[in-house]
Amino acid sequence: MSLATELSPPTIPTIATHPMLGLALAAAGPVAIGGILAARAELLSPLAAAPAIIFGVVAATSPALYIAIAATGDAPPLSRVARALGVALGAFGIALAGLVLPAAFISLSSVAALTTVVVCSCALGFAAMLALRRLSSELGTRTLSAGVVFVVWAITTFVIAGRLWWDLASEVLL
Amino acid sequence: MIGTTEVSSTTRVSLGTIDLLLRDRGVMLARIRSGNVAEILRTMIATIAVAMAIVGAALGSYRGEEQILYAAIKLPLVLLGTAALSAPALTAIGAAVGRRARLAHDLALVMSALAFGALLLAACTPLIMLGRAIDLSYHQMILSTVVMFAIAGFASLRMVIHALALEQGPGWRSAIAGLCTVFVFVGGQLAWSLRPYLVRPRAQDVPFVREVEGSLFDAITGAAQSARGVYRRDEAPLPEGY
Repeated sequence: MSLATELSPPTIPTIATHPMLGLALAAAGPVAIGGILAARAELLSPLAAAPAIIFGVVAATSPALYIAIAATGDAPPLSRVARALGVALGAFGIALAGLVLPAAFISLSSVAALTTVVVCSCALGFAAMLALRRLSSELGTRTLSAGVVFVVWAITTFVIAGRLWWDLASEVLL
Repeated sequence: MIGTTEVSSTTRVSLGTIDLLLRDRGVMLARIRSGNVAEILRTMIATIAVAMAIVGAALGSYRGEEQILYAAIKLPLVLLGTAALSAPALTAIGAAVGRRARLAHDLALVMSALAFGALLLAACTPLIMLGRAIDLSYHQMILSTVVMFAIAGFASLRMVIHALALEQGPGWRSAIAGLCTVFVFVGGQLAWSLRPYLVRPRAQDVPFVREVEGSLFDAITGAAQSARGVYRRDEAPLPEGY
């Protein structure tokens, strides 16, 4: 192999980042994180509760995001907002897919229930922050007021989901 | 240097790759980006296994006997296990923020960076043996080991950061932040679970691994609580004979 061949553009196949794969992972990721909690607590309820919290909160708050951004006059079309939400949920799922294995290892090799709660919360929180960042870039809002609306919406959604998650984790483990 | 790697023999290619890793990491990173990651992965896994076995044996020699073998087995497992658990996180976090997802390339990058760190640690082996020769105390040996591992860790991290910075694509900073976070926690926990590596010479029994006593996080939170005067036990256990 020559140097020119060695430094040529990549030819190795890459992981598919199809939107449907992202959405499938967005559904599977919270189930897996809920599964870590469920394994620790020896209860089945977190398996359903974790994805319910994620999708429930997003479903409940996302119309508000569209309405508020539209009200600022910097509204992308509804289809673009819907697509951005889908991409962001996909990003959430992909990020979570990479964090599930380390979280499961740390949680299951520990004896303290608090470790499980902290590790799972960190994984969900980090994936959520990446998803919010992706949503921001996909929406591509340009005005300051739209940016402020997005930040307020993001904090609100994060806090609501975080509170519900904490209540669930406290109830089953702490 | 590339010319030395242009050979058909697997063994010679592997040795050339190790040489390239030590001498010119810029070209090494270009090779990872360009493909043939299977050969790189195979070489790096072997490098980590051998180099960390040497380091482990050197650390185990402080206690001697079976601890030499135990540490030589466990240290490669720590690094390889950490890479296997952390590399997918690098790919996934990067993909989530728009970076191109290439698991095999990311795994090769993480393995190469760890192999570089492992080789640096192997180069420090004479210092470990020196510590043994001049009868450094147990705690001095611990501190020396921490310094060596810190230097190797920073060198590995620098290589990963340099590689991702070269991409200049979206999400490389998030990918680095995520990788570092996952790496610290997973590596710390795996190392903690498989301890001990360095054992006092007067220790009578040397377990392969200690009983599960909780995670590194549990130990840190426990120590923090003890420092605030909150104890989980009424008193610390006394040695036999008291």
